[in-house]
Amino acid sequence: MSDFFEKDEVTKVYDPALAARMVRYMKPYFGLVAASLLALAVSTGTELLMPVLVQRTVDEAIVVSYVRAARDMAASPELAALELTGEDPAIGEWIYLRERRLSGLSRTERDALVARGVLDIESRYLVSLAGPDTDRARVLAERAELFESEGDLAAIKLSELRELPPADARALRAKDSSRIKSNMFVYLALLAASLAATFAQTFASSLVGQKVMKDLRMELFGKTARQSLAFLSKHPVGRLVTRLTSDVETINQFFTDVLAAFAKDFSVMAGVLVTLVLLDWKLGLVTALTLPPVAVATSISRRMARDAFRKQRQWLSKVNAYIAEHLSGVAVVRLFAREKASVAEFEKHDRELLKASLGEMYVFATFRPLVEFFASTSIAVILWYGSSLHASHAISLGTLIAFVNLIRMFYNPVTDISEKYTLLQSAMAGGERVFALLDADERIPDEGTRHLPRPFRGRIEFDHVWFAYKEGEWVLKDLSFTVEPGEMVAIVGYTGAGKTTIAMLLSRMWDVQKGEIRIDGVPIRDIPLDELRRAVQPVAQDVFLFSGSIADNIRLHGELAAAEVEKAARVVHAAPFIGKLPKGYDTDLSEGATNISTGQRQLVSFARVVAHDPSIVVLDEATSSVDTETEKLLQKGLSELLSGRTSVVIAHRLSTIRHAHRILVLASGRLVEEGRHDALVARGGVYYNLYRLQYGREIVDDNGGRPAGAEGASA
Amino acid sequence: MPSLAEREYHRPMLKEYRTLLPYLKEYRLRYAAGLAFLIAVDAAQLLVPQFIRQAVDLVSTGSFLISDIARIALSIVLVAVFIAGGRFMWRYFIHGSSRRIEARLRDRLFAKLMELGPRFHQGNKIGDLMARATNDMQSIRMAAGMGFVTLVDGLFMSSAVLVIMFARNPEVAAWTIIPLPPVTALIILFGTLVGKRFKKVQEIYAKLSELAQETLSGIRVVKSFVKEDAFSERFAEANDRYRRVSMSLVALFGFFFPFIGFLSGLSTLVLVLAGGNAALANTMSPGDIAAMLVYLEMLVWPLMGAGFMVNMLQRGAASLKRVNEVLDTEPDIAPDPGALETVPSGGIEFRSLSFSYPDASSPALEDVTLSLPPGSTLGVLGRIGSGKSTLLKLLPRLVDPPPGTLFVGGRDAREYHPDWLRKAFGFVPQDTFLFSDSIKANVLFGAPDLDPERFERVTSVAAIDRDVEQFPLGWDTVVGEKGLTLSGGQKQRIAIARALAVDPEILVFDDALSAVDTETEERILAALLEERKGRTNVIVSNRVSTLRHADMVAVLDGGKLAELGTHEELLERDGFYAEIARLQALSAESGEARTADAGANGTGGAA
Repeated sequence: MSDFFEKDEVTKVYDPALAARMVRYMKPYFGLVAASLLALAVSTGTELLMPVLVQRTVDEAIVVSYVRAARDMAASPELAALELTGEDPAIGEWIYLRERRLSGLSRTERDALVARGVLDIESRYLVSLAGPDTDRARVLAERAELFESEGDLAAIKLSELRELPPADARALRAKDSSRIKSNMFVYLALLAASLAATFAQTFASSLVGQKVMKDLRMELFGKTARQSLAFLSKHPVGRLVTRLTSDVETINQFFTDVLAAFAKDFSVMAGVLVTLVLLDWKLGLVTALTLPPVAVATSISRRMARDAFRKQRQWLSKVNAYIAEHLSGVAVVRLFAREKASVAEFEKHDRELLKASLGEMYVFATFRPLVEFFASTSIAVILWYGSSLHASHAISLGTLIAFVNLIRMFYNPVTDISEKYTLLQSAMAGGERVFALLDADERIPDEGTRHLPRPFRGRIEFDHVWFAYKEGEWVLKDLSFTVEPGEMVAIVGYTGAGKTTIAMLLSRMWDVQKGEIRIDGVPIRDIPLDELRRAVQPVAQDVFLFSGSIADNIRLHGELAAAEVEKAARVVHAAPFIGKLPKGYDTDLSEGATNISTGQRQLVSFARVVAHDPSIVVLDEATSSVDTETEKLLQKGLSELLSGRTSVVIAHRLSTIRHAHRILVLASGRLVEEGRHDALVARGGVYYNLYRLQYGREIVDDNGGRPAGAEGASA
Repeated sequence: MPSLAEREYHRPMLKEYRTLLPYLKEYRLRYAAGLAFLIAVDAAQLLVPQFIRQAVDLVSTGSFLISDIARIALSIVLVAVFIAGGRFMWRYFIHGSSRRIEARLRDRLFAKLMELGPRFHQGNKIGDLMARATNDMQSIRMAAGMGFVTLVDGLFMSSAVLVIMFARNPEVAAWTIIPLPPVTALIILFGTLVGKRFKKVQEIYAKLSELAQETLSGIRVVKSFVKEDAFSERFAEANDRYRRVSMSLVALFGFFFPFIGFLSGLSTLVLVLAGGNAALANTMSPGDIAAMLVYLEMLVWPLMGAGFMVNMLQRGAASLKRVNEVLDTEPDIAPDPGALETVPSGGIEFRSLSFSYPDASSPALEDVTLSLPPGSTLGVLGRIGSGKSTLLKLLPRLVDPPPGTLFVGGRDAREYHPDWLRKAFGFVPQDTFLFSDSIKANVLFGAPDLDPERFERVTSVAAIDRDVEQFPLGWDTVVGEKGLTLSGGQKQRIAIARALAVDPEILVFDDALSAVDTETEERILAALLEERKGRTNVIVSNRVSTLRHADMVAVLDGGKLAELGTHEELLERDGFYAEIARLQALSAESGEARTADAGANGTGGAA
């Protein structure tokens, strides 16, 4: 539920250092990244080639026209601009050349040449007569008056060609037809290559994203799990989980949706511009001049979109949190008859969300049509300027069509980029949070190299220990005591006396500020942390069971044979109830382990400790009430658990206290009394008072004995 | 009542949209305006290729006036201005309406969720209900906005483009569109496939998240058994699973969209092939080809859109179905038209009350008869499952008692309007729930207009005042993750103040001091009972030391009223109560540390 409560702050815009840090995670997958880039190049290239190919097809096969120049003037300087050669086709007096070669002449020069009859600019089509073709021969024979021919060539005026019936025209242009066909084969190949490359690119970049995400999750998880409890208790679990899941997910989006998509979009846009300039640099430059307004509009809308998006997200998370919370607390709402008031308050929030959501919609509703408008403007400019270039024969019709198609390709990514921008923002915000957590280092220092002596004896010494969870608020003050090997010591005291803390300190869940704790004479700071924790096992008040089977919970996903697990369960008397469960040790514990009782859960936790066989047990006794039979069972389990081990028990049950070899009485973090039960009672000090307060009147009936059950005493 | 998630699955039908009808009707003018703009924009868009065709044809003749081309270019710009304006307008009207509908529906859903009773809320997970209020709302909005647009846009554009293309050259048009119908079919297929895989991805993601949540919650155990590596391993496996299913989704997406591009490219290919040959045969002009290339592009989107529309409408129907399930649920307890709208006074009477939950094999309460005069305190004791909590739930009609069995203030509880009946009660529940609002707002939850003196009084009785005054932000301290973390005892005491703030006729106290230490518990109880002197109280506790303050103690056992009487009477009777009292007194062997006997106060300690 914590997801719903957390405010999603989208404040980060773009942080190059952060982006660079994310990108560094791609390093191990260099091969995949390279493959993805290669595929990107192929797919962008093929996409750009396709309209070019269409242009070529139009120019080379569909709209083919020639003008002609007088053959005898070929060498004259007036025609030098046409660059005539002996290779050019010639029929009779005339040399034929493609229209666009006229672009070297100015309009007046051209008109002058035409007027002198040196140049004939009426469009003509050339038919090649090479090879046998009965249809073509028939048309040539039937319409001989339309053609001028010499050798392999025949020329016909374009206007006359266009008047021919379809069959005749087709017969004359069989060569063009096969040219179209072969070009379209290439087109098909380009399409197929584009399909394959685009798929490969998506797949490779997603795979990189997924792999990076896993690496990042594992690093974050490992790091977080090793942080000190001081750190972990400052950070609510829900928030840490959000870091591990959805925040890391936004970084994945950074790789797949932002980085990969931007790469594609920008390469297409750059590719379009380059292609345009290569096709015709003049028209290309003029086209480029129409683009700056888009850049301006994009940067404005980006800012507006960011604000609108942030606002919308904030209200959305507020509304969602409100719903989630009122679902969890619906009983309270009902009990106080606050349904109507809550609904009214909700509607107020929801109105704000609507306002923000409409605000976001307006930004997009303005931006997208605006970009389309710019695209149309660019097309209009291309048509206008392009046609004037065409009029002076500077560009072909195919080039003009290619420009129109390519400029559309340029505009397509524009909206895409600005919409991806919000993703970039949330990736940055997510990344920032993830790295902040990753950079936090509050592990318990683990620099010890001294090992516990073998054989292990289990002597515990607290030597002038001072400890505070919060600075200045001492929980333990100058605490010193010793527990001899094999001894069972009970610690009693008022709530808040610092009892539970002792369990945490001994296995270095927290570190003491002053003083020293030693086990068998070795300061625990000097012992490698893993070794220490294997030797000292704190058992918490509230049992935590993981999802999974009972056996999993006893072995805690370690390498423990089934027989060992069962043995541990038998030792603490957990075996009988486990045996009665439908699947025995393989019974799955449902959410919160509600399918077994509180007492049974405690037995499972005892079995867990026995299975891991620590030398020292620090037990924080549970305070939760259980029925009398379970109580007896727990006591039996407990005494098995503790037997043969040095143990410190933070006692809440008198029976436990009476089993202890020694009682330490803590008050406000200090050791105030120490000794056996009878002696302490007789002394009439803190223990006596505590005892009287907590256990009431039976103190009078107290016989000082150590019976195991309730039957030993009476009212 | 089966939970919503368990209900039989029916394919969502178009009829689920009935819920939206009133809203659609209300916003019909907006929709109509949006529709008009949408169609006008579509029509204008169809003009653009015509201009391009004219320009290309003019150019291809070789002899033309630049001013003619300039006129065409200007027309394109003017049409573009109109299109841009029109696009904004239809988005304004249609998306605006769909977002308004979303908000209205969410309001309605929330109100319904607040109205529905505990049986509904117990049977349904919060996560599931949340999904209905968030993701489902979003897909309903998509269906009511984008779904609607693509439907109209797709129908209009595709038919218009087809008409134009066929009018220019039927043969070429027929060839060209061959690769396109599969686009729609593929998108529909794609929608279903993606839906399935996406669900799988979501499931695995949820598992990953649960695993992280669980491991971090149990981190003490993990650490103390030095199992960091084993649990990391476990987490790595979950990560790998997640990567595998994610990649299967990526593979689908990665293939799909390029494939659509492939198909549309194929129709471009066919156009150039067929159109080119037609141009060679003089049956088509080059301008026609250029225009058709643009039209073709216009056709691909509606065809893709049609597929998406089907998916969107399906998803919308599925989401609406889930929302309708909630909206159509009848509340357990609905007020009668003539229900009493007065706050009952303090007396409570059970008359041979028996109560069974539906689906339960045995009654939760059986033949309970007891009468509590106004102004007295009832103590209730019983094991887990003895019917204690049912008894408490019956009082404010969280569950409904049979007629003629429960009387509050001398009248059948069912005669009251539930809201008014509940106003008689101040509840301190066993599990404290506070809202993430200021502490002050939490105390004032049931009585927003409490005067400052009363506020001071109730917070001091609940013994929370001193704690709060030590917080830097005092009463404005916000409860919850971002605010200060309150201890369990502090939360319980705030809940006590909250219940006292409404100054209820009847205070119900459900074993609500479990997280408070012995001394404080005693102090609070003493102050509380002093404060509530002369008012009716129902106090559930497992501690005899608490119950001895009650005027009358009821012992429940297996849903039956096993014993009833004063503390002393019950002790003498030597039944279950006496046994419990003895056991607790004998905590020397079996009691709990926190067993707060009256002895703690020194009054009867040295018995």
